[in-house]
Amino acid sequence: MMSTHDKVTDDTTDFGFERVKTGEKAGRVREVFDSVAARYDVMNDLMSGGMHRLWKRFTIELSAVRPGQTVLDIAGGTGDLAAKFSKLVGADGHVVLADINSAMLSVGRDRLIDKGALSNISVVQADAQYLPFEDNSIDCITIAFGLRNVTDKNKALASMHRVLKPGGRLLVLEFSKPVSPLLSKIYDTYSFSALPVMGKIITDDSDSYRYLAESIRKHPDQDTLLNMVEDAGFVDCRYHNMTGGIVAVHRGIKG
Amino acid sequence: MQHDPAVIAGVCLVAEAAIARAIALSPGTAPQLAQLHPVELAIACTNPTIDVFLVINGDGEINVSSYRETEPTVCISGSSSAFLKVASASDPAAALINGNIKITGDTAVLMTLQNVLSDLNIDWEAPMVDLLGPIVGHQLANLIRGLTTASKVAHQSARRQLSEFILEEGRLSPPRAELDDFLGSVDDMVLRVDRAESRLKRLKNRVDLLSGASA
Repeated sequence: MMSTHDKVTDDTTDFGFERVKTGEKAGRVREVFDSVAARYDVMNDLMSGGMHRLWKRFTIELSAVRPGQTVLDIAGGTGDLAAKFSKLVGADGHVVLADINSAMLSVGRDRLIDKGALSNISVVQADAQYLPFEDNSIDCITIAFGLRNVTDKNKALASMHRVLKPGGRLLVLEFSKPVSPLLSKIYDTYSFSALPVMGKIITDDSDSYRYLAESIRKHPDQDTLLNMVEDAGFVDCRYHNMTGGIVAVHRGIKG
Repeated sequence: MQHDPAVIAGVCLVAEAAIARAIALSPGTAPQLAQLHPVELAIACTNPTIDVFLVINGDGEINVSSYRETEPTVCISGSSSAFLKVASASDPAAALINGNIKITGDTAVLMTLQNVLSDLNIDWEAPMVDLLGPIVGHQLANLIRGLTTASKVAHQSARRQLSEFILEEGRLSPPRAELDDFLGSVDDMVLRVDRAESRLKRLKNRVDLLSGASA
């Protein structure tokens, strides 16, 4: 069942607050990440005050990944999650770092080489909607701050469900809706005033960071995304709010 | 009360970094810890409800996390005040066993871990030498060692002198033997009063019986 909250109509979809043709979104998103790839991690640290490291750390804990397992990190970009998973799965396990954007993957691969963490990691350029992996082949899938940029989220969730092994788990870490109205107001002011200015100073690109703020507002809230994960066929679904709901991590198990 | 997972993750991150730093500076500890792999120690605080897991990996590192799905080797549970008592006790091992803390699972592992961590012998000289070179680093490490020893001696001496002042000079508190004697006398008095009360009750019952019979 297609969720009504994933606003892909016949030929248009959201790109931040804009409506663009469905076929154009991937290209527009690629332009954004091409622009910010080199300084993506620096900007993440600055924008979140380092909190993104804690959000990712908790996501890794929730993954309960064991040695010997296969992990797919979609929209893995600069490879910070993949590096941690690489250590957890050990020499007998395997981590696939996937991203649709070659500039982000390139930065990620270089970082992983610098960390000496490539022995059990494969780097794959892939679209989350059409994952190029066999059915029932992956133990755990993570997608951190990537789902909101996917053109058709339902299609991507279905694709993830297909490649996961029965009993395998999906973790979606994504910006969400703050639970407190006061925090929501502060967060809105910060996102639409401070973020573009920081983007301009650090990457000389305020438009990309304006898009990031807008895309967060257009992303489904906690309960809507939970329904989408359930609709994709996952069971035992739940979510954990972090930092007052600014970020939430959703978990689903393939039954 | 529900805690923000990001905050707990931050606490775990800081604790893990501090433990890693201490282990790195104590050369003999990591191999000893590696022998304990794959031990998992769960610390379950009931008030407030926070679970923390210490997992020893094959490299002798201790990973600290707030979420695990596997059965821990040993679990220590109790309230935050009980944990604070253990942390501030002069003999934490004895306080752990005798306090309001519940230990389940393989307690032998806990004793081994306690022995390894109590033998933690941090070598301050290595990071000093790495940072400042062998001459200045060694001198500075010697200075720190001297200051640490002097500080320990000063601390012990201050405790002893303060205790002597309170007990002997100021007479602000009675000596332990005197206090024990006084408390013993109080206990004795309580027993005597109880006995006297019982005797009075018995006499009153007899008087009531006799007055009832004469009427």
